[in-house]
Amino acid sequence: MLKVNNLVVKRGPRVTLDDINLSLQAGETLAVVGESGAGKSTLIATILGLLKPASGEITWNGQPVCEAHPALVMQEPRAAFNPVLSLRRSVMEPIVAQGTVLGIGCLERLCARLELPSEMLDRRPNQVSIGQAQRAGILRALIAAAPLVLFDEPLSALDAVTQKHTAQLISDLQSEEGFAALIVTHDIGYAVAHADQIMVLKDGRVEETTDAQTFALNPVSPYCRALRDAAISLGALEAVT
Amino acid sequence: MRSVLILVVCLIALAVLGPLLAPYDPTAIDIPNRLSAPNATFPLGTDALGRDILSRLLYGARWSLGLAFLISLLSLTIGTAVGLLATLGGKIADWSLMRATDTFLAFPELVAAVVIAGLMGAGTWSLIFALSVTGWMRYARVVRGIGLSLQSRGYVVQARLAGLPGWSIARWHYLPSLIPSLTVVWTGMFSRAILGISALGFLGFGVQPPNPEWGAMLLDARVHMRSTPLQMTWPGVAVVICVLAINLAGDALRDALAKEGSHE
Amino acid sequence: MIKAIGGLLLRAVVVLSGTAILTFALLWHAPGDPAQAIAMARFDALLTEDVIDQVREEVGLNANFWQAFWAWLGPLLRFDFGYSAVTGRPVWPDLWAAMTYTVPLALAGLAIGLAVSLPLAVLATKRPGGLLDRAAVGVASLGAAIPAYWLGLLLILLFAVQLRWLPAMGARTTAHAILPAVTLGLGVAASLTRIIRSGILEARGQPFLPAIQRRGVTERALARDHIAPHAAIPVVTLFGLELAFLLEGAVLVEVIFGRPGLGTFLVQAIVARDFPHVQAVVVVTALAFVVVNLLIDIIYRVIDPRIGAENA
Repeated sequence: MLKVNNLVVKRGPRVTLDDINLSLQAGETLAVVGESGAGKSTLIATILGLLKPASGEITWNGQPVCEAHPALVMQEPRAAFNPVLSLRRSVMEPIVAQGTVLGIGCLERLCARLELPSEMLDRRPNQVSIGQAQRAGILRALIAAAPLVLFDEPLSALDAVTQKHTAQLISDLQSEEGFAALIVTHDIGYAVAHADQIMVLKDGRVEETTDAQTFALNPVSPYCRALRDAAISLGALEAVT
Repeated sequence: MRSVLILVVCLIALAVLGPLLAPYDPTAIDIPNRLSAPNATFPLGTDALGRDILSRLLYGARWSLGLAFLISLLSLTIGTAVGLLATLGGKIADWSLMRATDTFLAFPELVAAVVIAGLMGAGTWSLIFALSVTGWMRYARVVRGIGLSLQSRGYVVQARLAGLPGWSIARWHYLPSLIPSLTVVWTGMFSRAILGISALGFLGFGVQPPNPEWGAMLLDARVHMRSTPLQMTWPGVAVVICVLAINLAGDALRDALAKEGSHE
Repeated sequence: MIKAIGGLLLRAVVVLSGTAILTFALLWHAPGDPAQAIAMARFDALLTEDVIDQVREEVGLNANFWQAFWAWLGPLLRFDFGYSAVTGRPVWPDLWAAMTYTVPLALAGLAIGLAVSLPLAVLATKRPGGLLDRAAVGVASLGAAIPAYWLGLLLILLFAVQLRWLPAMGARTTAHAILPAVTLGLGVAASLTRIIRSGILEARGQPFLPAIQRRGVTERALARDHIAPHAAIPVVTLFGLELAFLLEGAVLVEVIFGRPGLGTFLVQAIVARDFPHVQAVVVVTALAFVVVNLLIDIIYRVIDPRIGAENA
């Protein structure tokens, strides 16, 4: 289980994240929503250990989170892959680096599940579609059996059809593989449809944490209500009355 | 672009094949024919000891270009290693290595090279050492600059998350992106090395006689400037042609890379 | 702001300490027995071990590295460069005399360089890519490839030997300084032309210029207020490099023209293995460099506080 307690992150004198608390069970999905600059990306970077928190702790089952080797699926699918290496090399990087043994047929099974033909992996990132690159990114997260996968705006670079498809795939894979997913998104509709819990960030503080149904039906804070109503009027979320 | 490349290839061929093309032994002394003007037997004339200048020029290409190649490669290696260590080694390593780079940069290159080569005792090895040890800083800065911009690239972040060791990240994710810029810097340093070698040779701290190095030849020729002014022109022309060709090749390479970058 | 300047000062101090250690290490590890070299240079006679040992004691070469370093650094911090190991005369007056030759030469070189490169670059950028522009770039590339010592020899050959217009060797009159200054200036001009040219072209490409032009501002005012200041930035940035170039050029030019100055001072000191002289030149140039670069950095931060914010 991922636990974040009283997390404070500062950049210079500015406090970018203030007193964040969250917990996330294996098999669960937490969507973090908020406008840009709310601290969503900072939260991801801090959980991954790329940024040092000013105070607070982040643990996975009581251990420092980096020991669990969390995986990250990025917003720009192609940029997540070295342009001069084959996708296969990059996908296998966690296996090589962590010295884990890849189960027989594991790669083939995941490839089939992600609808990525195996020969696609021998191409370079600019030789595949963005959707394929994003699925290769998910493959890299799953292949080392990361217990915690962070998704940073996983859909925003994709076109509408691929978005829908990828969102469903992430959802399905999560229930099959049982990893904990933390998804940063600004797409309220996606968050409500696929997450168990929704955490709303505003100016580095937690505005509200609720389960997805409550958020859609009856958000507590006025800010969340405004967010929900905006999503409804844009057609991203169906009005539930 | 193409003509520059052909010129560079020709120069390299001359340096490699020089001994085959040279009509005489570059160190063979022939006092009766000393300081002769260009003629049928000695196409470019002879020097004060009667040595054939054309042969010395051709052999000299090996010294100048070969040593410049070695020196620029050595400083490239040192500079790249320092730059990579600075980017991947954490904040303390970064700060101290960059201050070390600043320290080396605080001495004007040629002055430092003259002092080092001079104090070590003139000779080829001190020349190589002096020019390599004073030439690596620009590479280190370039590598660190690019390295810092690479740090936030998606695939570098992924490699760090995967737990890849630093040297592996350097090898697979940093070096390929560094090669184009390093090549451009390298051409600049290559021509600077040619100038440095001949300058040290000219001051008497470089390649020692009787070896035919262009700067040292110029030093010999200077004494006889009044009687045989032509003798003084040849080594200079050779240096200018080499430096110009390599600089132009570097410019063309930089422009080509910039164009490629803008297409992406 | 004050913190940033403090950081720069700390950096300069660290770099200066580094240069001091490096300089001393170089002198310390120079092969051969410096005591013997010094003794030979000073007495120029058959040497007994006693004489060499006496010299060794006198020059302070008997201690271990750090002892000798601190002993060496102390006087240096008081700007006391000691006595020449060869002549026994104090270093500073001789060094100062050498600088009074080199600094004016370098300044004259810089002035000639600017006088040649500035009009050339302005003319060249009137029509970028035009005949004049390509010619200017070509000449500048050629100039950058010509070694200063060779150019100096060619000028001597032409103006002193063939035409007999100007004296070549020595530094007795102002006329003696013309050829050295021109040699140095042409080298500076070659690199400055390229820098100024690309500075002007970049300044012309500033996105807001067309809007200002449409408001009816004159060409002259545009050049004065918007292009010149912007084009000056790279020239100032690269001033440190230009300074290095000037100094390196001065060393060679002085040797070619047989002029007294830092260059001849240094070369003679190296040949004679006169360590106090060598170290004095090295320390003074390093100090000048660090101070100049520090000033450039500080001026920059005062002008534009954004610069350096990322690596503070």
